[in-house]
Order: sequence, then C-alpha cells, then structure tokens
Amino acid sequence: MSNYRFDRLRVLVVDDNQHMRKLVATILHGFGTVHVYEAARAERAWDMLHDCNPDVILLDWIMEGMSGLELAQRIRTSPQSPNPLVSIIMLTGHTHIDRVRQARDVGINEFLAKPVSVKSLLTRLSAVIENPRPFVRTEEYFGPCRRRRNYAEYQGPERRTKLPLAAKLAEPDAA
Amino acid sequence: MAKQPIEIFMPPNMLKAKLGGTVVGLDMAAVKRAEAAVESLKSEFGAWIGADVARLVECRDAFAKHGGSAAHRELFRASHDLKGQALTCDFPLVARIAASLCHLLEQTETAPLSLVDAHVDGARAILRDDIRDAANPTASALAKELEARVIETAGA
Repeated sequence: MSNYRFDRLRVLVVDDNQHMRKLVATILHGFGTVHVYEAARAERAWDMLHDCNPDVILLDWIMEGMSGLELAQRIRTSPQSPNPLVSIIMLTGHTHIDRVRQARDVGINEFLAKPVSVKSLLTRLSAVIENPRPFVRTEEYFGPCRRRRNYAEYQGPERRTKLPLAAKLAEPDAA
Repeated sequence: MAKQPIEIFMPPNMLKAKLGGTVVGLDMAAVKRAEAAVESLKSEFGAWIGADVARLVECRDAFAKHGGSAAHRELFRASHDLKGQALTCDFPLVARIAASLCHLLEQTETAPLSLVDAHVDGARAILRDDIRDAANPTASALAKELEARVIETAGA
C-alpha cells in the first residue's frame, strides 16, 4: 500500500481530445487528486504553467498546433519555463521504439500508452514519485537521464555529443 | 569554442516530500476508487465513441474532397484518437481497424481512398451493430482483411 497524499498533487492534463481529458481527470479524481487542470492545446498549457504550477504534466503527443514533443522541449529548455524539472508523462498511441526514443530525447520522464487504464496511470505516477532520475545538461539536451538503468555503468553508444536537439526535431520523420 | 561540460545532478525529490507514501506495490484502495469513478463514466462511452467515429467520417470526407497534407494529417489524428479511445469504450475491433488505418496513413501520404473508406465503413458498421466482442467472426475477419490490405499497400 502506498498511501500517497494525492490531495496535494497538482496535475495538468494536456490533450486535444475532450473525452481523453475527462477520462484521465476522472481517474485522477478517483485517486484523490483535487487540483486537476486541463488544456486542449499545448499553447494554452504553456500559458497556464505559471498559474497552475503543476507537479506532473500528462501530455498528449499529437495535437493541432504545437505538439506534445514541442511543448516538452520548451518546458525543459526555454528560459521562460517556470519549472524545467517538472515531471512529464507522455500519453500516446505510438509505441514504436523510434517514437519512444524521440520522446525520450526531448526530456519525457515516463510514457503512458493509450488506452489509459487506472493501473497504468497509477504505475507511471508512482514511477515519477519513487524513481526520479538524475537530470543531465549537455549542449543539446536537458532532461532526465536517458540511461534509465545502471546509468553509471552505461556502455552503449555516446549520444551526448551528437546532433543538437533542434536539428533532430527538424528531421523529416520527427513530426 | 570549448564545449559545454556535461552536467549531471539529482534534483531534490519534492514530489515524494509532498505526497509521502510508502511503496509496497500499488495503492489498491486508490485503484478501486478510481475504477469506480471510471465505471460511473461508462454510460457516456457510447456517445464518446459515436462522436469519434463521426469525426473520422468528417475527416474522411474532407480528405476525399480536398486531399493534401492538411486533410491527411486531420484524418490521421482522427484515426489515432479513435485507436486510443475505442478500447476504453469497449469496442476492441474499432480500435483494431483504427490502428490499421493509422498505419496506412502513417506509411503513405497517398493512401488509396477505397482502402480508407473500407476502414471508415468498417468502424461505422461495428459501432452500428454494437459489436463489442473482439472475437466476433465477421468483424474480426473484416479487421484481418483490412490489416492485410494495408500491409500489401504500405508495408508492415
């Protein structure tokens, strides 16, 4: 039993589908979360950040206008960002490994694959509460360490010196 | 110019400090409360899925009429939303057909309209006949056929 004080949690749900927002907000209220804020567009979410000061952002990937990826990158790297360290959980129907890598590379903490279930949402929330990762700042990246496990013993390819993030996002398949 | 050094730091865990809790698996009381809340929403699911399929049809019509990347993108978004929503609303075969349509649209900007229509009509028919069983023989055969056609057209 975890017994979190979910009544103290502040969550911003960003999704252009009103049904998905309602489903996620209903689950959060069921957990006991009182402060659930909703935005139908990433631009609106950005404007709301100062006022609602969320602890966790649940962010859809594909939206009209600014995408979830672009908002996540702005939150992590913009000098105007009110909280570059905020936990971001990406809601997505994309589960292909390339898509997961794209999201990880803009500083997403966790993924939540659609369809959203009560247990999957609670599991992801528990992950950001219990297992925060160190943050990494390089020339091209700022966000949670992408080497999720045993990062100190990482022996894979060195990504921290590759293309700047802006160039990666400009690649044709990055949308 | 010298490269910026890599900086790694562990921010204080403010979330844990704020929410407390001890971790021994999931909080099943919270799970039960949330599942009860979702149960109370289920009476709305029929209207939700109806609205999502209606939006898919609208986007299909715009795609057929105007073509182009904007209409293609909207049709993809509608099918992607339906894929994410239909399982929640207990229409697994609508989700499967929407996933197949997403794959088609993701792989090619010039998706054949006849194949798009077959997906849209399939989703409408399943909703109209209220088929919620993933093993329904006719609807699952349709989904399988659509998936095969998409692979033929757009690749796996």
